[in-house]
Amino acid sequence: MSNRVDPTLITELEHFGLKDAHKCYNCGNCTAICPLSTPENPFPRKMVRLIQLGQRDKLLEAPEPWLCYYCGDCSTRCPRGADPGETMMVMRRYLTSLYDWTGFARKFYTSERFEIMAIAIVAVLVGLGLLLFNTGKPNWDHAAINSLWPAEHIEIADLIMGGILSFLLLSNVFRCFRIIMGKMAFKIPLRYYASEAKELLIHTLTQKRFSQCTDRMQWFVHLMIMTGYSSVFLLVVVFIRWFQRDHIEYAIWHPVRLVGYYATFAILYGTTYAIIGRLKKSKAPYKNSHPTDWMFLILLQLTTLTGIFIHFTRLLDWPATTYFLYVIHMMVAVPMLVLEVPFAKWAHLAYRPVVVFLLKVKERYAQETAAPATAEAVVEGAIS
Amino acid sequence: MANAVTQSILVVGGGMSGLAAAIEAAEAGHEVYLVEKNPYLGGRVAQLHQYFPKLCPPYCGLELNFRRIKNNPKVRVLTMAEVEAITGREGDFDVTIKMNPRYVNEKCTACNKCAEATTMEIDNPFNYGMDKMKAAYLPHDMAFPMRYVLDPALVASPEAQKVKDACPYGAIDLTMEPKTLTLKVGAITWATGWKPYDAAKLDTLGFKTCQNVVTNVMMERLSAWSGPTQGKIVRPSDGKAPETIAFVQCAGSRDQNHLPFCSSICCLASMKQATYVREQYPDAKIYIFYIDIRAMDRLETFYQKVKEDPNIRFFKGKVAKIEEDPATKNLILRVEDTAAGALHQITVDMAVLATGMQPNSSEDTLPGSIPIDEYGFVATLQAQPGIYAAGCTRTPVAVSESVQDGTAAALKAIQSIARR
Repeated sequence: MSNRVDPTLITELEHFGLKDAHKCYNCGNCTAICPLSTPENPFPRKMVRLIQLGQRDKLLEAPEPWLCYYCGDCSTRCPRGADPGETMMVMRRYLTSLYDWTGFARKFYTSERFEIMAIAIVAVLVGLGLLLFNTGKPNWDHAAINSLWPAEHIEIADLIMGGILSFLLLSNVFRCFRIIMGKMAFKIPLRYYASEAKELLIHTLTQKRFSQCTDRMQWFVHLMIMTGYSSVFLLVVVFIRWFQRDHIEYAIWHPVRLVGYYATFAILYGTTYAIIGRLKKSKAPYKNSHPTDWMFLILLQLTTLTGIFIHFTRLLDWPATTYFLYVIHMMVAVPMLVLEVPFAKWAHLAYRPVVVFLLKVKERYAQETAAPATAEAVVEGAIS
Repeated sequence: MANAVTQSILVVGGGMSGLAAAIEAAEAGHEVYLVEKNPYLGGRVAQLHQYFPKLCPPYCGLELNFRRIKNNPKVRVLTMAEVEAITGREGDFDVTIKMNPRYVNEKCTACNKCAEATTMEIDNPFNYGMDKMKAAYLPHDMAFPMRYVLDPALVASPEAQKVKDACPYGAIDLTMEPKTLTLKVGAITWATGWKPYDAAKLDTLGFKTCQNVVTNVMMERLSAWSGPTQGKIVRPSDGKAPETIAFVQCAGSRDQNHLPFCSSICCLASMKQATYVREQYPDAKIYIFYIDIRAMDRLETFYQKVKEDPNIRFFKGKVAKIEEDPATKNLILRVEDTAAGALHQITVDMAVLATGMQPNSSEDTLPGSIPIDEYGFVATLQAQPGIYAAGCTRTPVAVSESVQDGTAAALKAIQSIARR
């Protein structure tokens, strides 16, 4: 690994939102106060130090940004106002851009104009697509989305989109895997991966590490947004045939309805909490907002709100309004999925659990292959 | 130069710099009023076990100064007194002083009979509340003036008459009331000093929750022969000799959430206290956790000497958290070794928080229009025409600088009222 000092690194990271890392005087308070920091992976000061020293290569290989859930304890207690929590956030943006082979993530994070243009272009394309490709026989007597855009057709579009998104995201995850595992990438036998697979699932679903943070509210809000988003994603992509109905046919306890209601509530609650927090800068993790943070919350909330409106115009049986809102809904939801999932903030839903999983695999492999004596106690009793 | 209507000088604060200012001005021929809030002179220095540069007991230096005051009729000492208002201008100040009752007059011979007659006990502020004392007390062994004090609570209690009757000299006067005094002075030296930063505000460092966490000023009292343990450094929880002690530097200093500045003396103070421990316990292991060691001036050599001690480990990293093991009352410190980039949990028997100097001027309402800076210090020697700041009220300094600063302020005060 090269130890070349790159003095341009810190200015480059400013485009990703870095502001205060230069204020750090390396006291180590942040690392010692962080409940998630461990002797094996101490952070966040390590990241701040690498940035200050222009250690580009070492930063690329660092798994620590994905171990941080940004509760903000380090920033609140930083004696210098160096905001180490925000530096970790910046690192996640930077790593997302490095894992992405298309170069799209980088543009997305470093240029607000590019971000807005990209979303606008995809939105217009989606709008045009819905106007051009439909049955041409809308039901003007009753609100019936399926008369214009049958669920079966949307399903096909979903599958195509899902395929492309999966390819892009998984190819980036593979790069993440290569980078994090380094020389170990293809050395560790598959059974180690299999034995730790449970961890991958648990961390994806519960984010249980987040619950160790001092501010558990952040974990709860994050979990609401994640579970709400994931469940509605399943509804519109996998279960679109059952989700996009023109009449209310299911009883109230039908899973599709229950999941739909839960997702709506969870996302609205989570995003509203986060938006108010960011507006008021109510706590450390909400103090600095990168344009992509806002874009993420706004798109997510708009998608949900337009979805709720459609629900009501359908109930009110207003055909024209329903069709119009449906187009708007798609013009918000699709860009969010297409751009955010492989290239921006949503990508962390893959990187974070994957990195936690890979570290577990590495640790397990090291434990089982190394001599038993190397498991050294962390507690230092006396001076030798 | 002003047209001075009087050549008197007021010195506010009877600590090291105030003492120096008062004595120097008086020895130059000026009439001096020395106003002190406590019932005794000497300030924070009187509470130290040893002080720099020679690590001698401060009673030695204080005694010299007290003798100079005693022998100089030009100094008038007002203890238990506070300045309430200052009006006027350079050369012609009117000062209002509130005198709190001591309930003991000048007939006192410090025979201790009143204390013997008293059963009421109060926290001993001289020992930072680590022990109790009788409510009729001599503030400390070499208090100047050498005169007892009665706590207002004792005076209000039924026990008061019995205590008064115990005094063979008629020195106790239970009818004393707060008095107001007005003085006319030509110049003022402001030397109200500092207090230790409130360690309870450092909520992760366990000062309130862990018994064996003390502050550096408490450590001075624990080491002093006149202190609560007669000079034995022991754990507050069980009185046992500590085998490992941690000194936690920058406890609330250089921290924008607490004191944003460096108090400049705490590094050397902790090293000095490490030598106290080493003298009492040759096998004790000592950690000094620091961000940067700031051993000012010629005391770099002292740092080098302490560093050579194999039992003292300088550990680069700020302690973020202290937790107590409920069974042993040992302390678990969470700290990153920033030189190695390694996170540690270190268990010690006892921890000393090196808290910084909070200027009293940051919390008191200053009479007149004495300006303070963003940290609460009266930041310049010439605070305003005719008023001069000295010692830790101006900037955090050690004892010898306080003396120099007091002398400098005395000269400025003399110059401001000098006849032409």
